[in-house]
Amino acid sequence: MEVLLFTLIAAVALASGAMVVLQRNAMYSALFLVLNFFCLAVFYVLLNAYFLAVVQIAVYAGAIMVLMLFVIMLLNVAHPEPIDPRFSVLKGFGALIALALLGELAYIVLRGGATLAAGPAAIATGDATHTQGLASLLFTRYLFPFEVTSILLLAAIMGAAMLARKRRERL
Amino acid sequence: MPTLPTTVPTEYYLAVSAALFVIGVLGVLLRKNALTIFMSIELMLNAVNLSFVAFARQRGTFDGQVIVFFVMAVAAAEVAVGLAIIVDIFRSRHHVDVDQVSWLRG
Repeated sequence: MEVLLFTLIAAVALASGAMVVLQRNAMYSALFLVLNFFCLAVFYVLLNAYFLAVVQIAVYAGAIMVLMLFVIMLLNVAHPEPIDPRFSVLKGFGALIALALLGELAYIVLRGGATLAAGPAAIATGDATHTQGLASLLFTRYLFPFEVTSILLLAAIMGAAMLARKRRERL
Repeated sequence: MPTLPTTVPTEYYLAVSAALFVIGVLGVLLRKNALTIFMSIELMLNAVNLSFVAFARQRGTFDGQVIVFFVMAVAAAEVAVGLAIIVDIFRSRHHVDVDQVSWLRG
């Protein structure tokens, strides 16, 4: 049952991921990416990462994608970009690199070494304690990265505000 | 395949993660619109997040999930600053085509 659900959601995730890349209209790409994020949230639930599933929806689909949609609509770049029919060497090279990467990843995945059907009981039975477990690790062992991340976010806020402010004279 | 496994094995998640990552790489390499390239980068980041959570479930620890937490925070910061840069470039050039943003090219 879980495998059927996984297959269905994986098909939707891969299809929407492909549509993100293939759509000519940036707005449609963004909406397909939101669908992809929701599929990933379902994956996180299947992997017993309930807190991360909710954070994925709240942060990625709810904040980051909304911000991108704002910018797409603000800059009005949603008109379809024309498909360049010429086959350039660059495009062929890019496709080749992507195929090589896919081959490498397929080899690693199929070779095995990641074989474990179910996680141990510590995570499998932890829906009441999952957030606890995550928090107990986040605030003890990863406390320093946590604090540094807050500084990073502050720097990002200042940088974004400074870059997007209205200049008094045109540079 | 006579019986399906009751729990999804880790390799299935890794395969989906690899495929999503490669789709993201194709998007970064083949698209011209800066915002679409940005979205492909987010796709790549999410593919790696999926890998992390899958391995965290397999190993039985929460370290992978903490890393995903940080990746999400860093991705949010990166999107904010990157979009500010794109808006700034658009304000002076009135397009977001990365092929034409070549002032630094020698």
